[in-house]
Amino acid sequence: MTKKRNKLEVIRDILKVIRDKHGKIKPTHIMYKSNLSHHMMEEYLKELKEKGFILESNDEKHRTYSITKKGLEYLEKFKFIINFTDSFGLNF
Amino acid sequence: MENIYLVSNWFFGWDVVFEFFFALIALGVSFHSFKIHKLTGQRSPKLFGLSFLFFSIAYFIQSFLNFAIISKLNENICDFFKIQAVETLNLIGLYFHITFFILGLVTLVYMTLNTDNKKLYLLLLSTSLLFVALSQNSIYAFYFLSSVFLIYMVSHYFTNYLKNRQTKIILILVAFVFFLLGNIHFIFLINHIKFYIIGHFLGLIAYLLIFVNLLLVLKNDKKKK
Repeated sequence: MTKKRNKLEVIRDILKVIRDKHGKIKPTHIMYKSNLSHHMMEEYLKELKEKGFILESNDEKHRTYSITKKGLEYLEKFKFIINFTDSFGLNF
Repeated sequence: MENIYLVSNWFFGWDVVFEFFFALIALGVSFHSFKIHKLTGQRSPKLFGLSFLFFSIAYFIQSFLNFAIISKLNENICDFFKIQAVETLNLIGLYFHITFFILGLVTLVYMTLNTDNKKLYLLLLSTSLLFVALSQNSIYAFYFLSSVFLIYMVSHYFTNYLKNRQTKIILILVAFVFFLLGNIHFIFLINHIKFYIIGHFLGLIAYLLIFVNLLLVLKNDKKKK
């Protein structure tokens, strides 16, 4: 049985999916690739948008997302983040 | 607040060094915690950083206060501010130390509750401060209250360990056990000189564990680079 992901790991997975798509990705792809329910994905996307990790663009047909500099920094520093939060018991 | 600690002569001066060391480590934890908050935007590291910042301020005050007593600097400060008795200045410093320490503990406990209810935070804080301020012996009340909060923190970390089985959390769990033991010791120090020293040594073990914990995290980060 695999361990349940914590909040920081889910955020990492979402950001990775967006980054690996070289910029723009549709919400349905994020949902499948990061293994989340529609409701959970929308909540995470809202939070990530508010915190400046991703950017939302709307054209006539689609809603797409791209990763920001802050989002890339999160991915780069993820090991440090998880080490610190695990070691000091700041579980999310 | 009528009782002042009894301190063994040989330890006079060492307590300043100990408290300064505690303050620096608490400041280091606070700094890195705020850094994590900046990277993640999450609430827990912000509150954790804030609580260690309060601890740090509390220890800087305590350290400065003890340094002022040794160096007789407190007499000059009293002259400057026209305070009649040196004891009054010492008590003011002690009150500041207690206030910041309670602020730190309440913030830490509030963080574990996973709520954004600010009214709850204010209720916890005001009840704690009033309990200490209105007690007949504020020092006893302070150490009693701190012990209750620390028992809660130890149980929080212990349940966390049982739930996640993460060995990384053991250091911080043991550190909080030493904090608690040091705090319980302080309750008895008013009549016993030795307890003041033992309390400081238990605190030293706790902060050394936190320091090692922080160093391990930073070392892993460097290794990765």
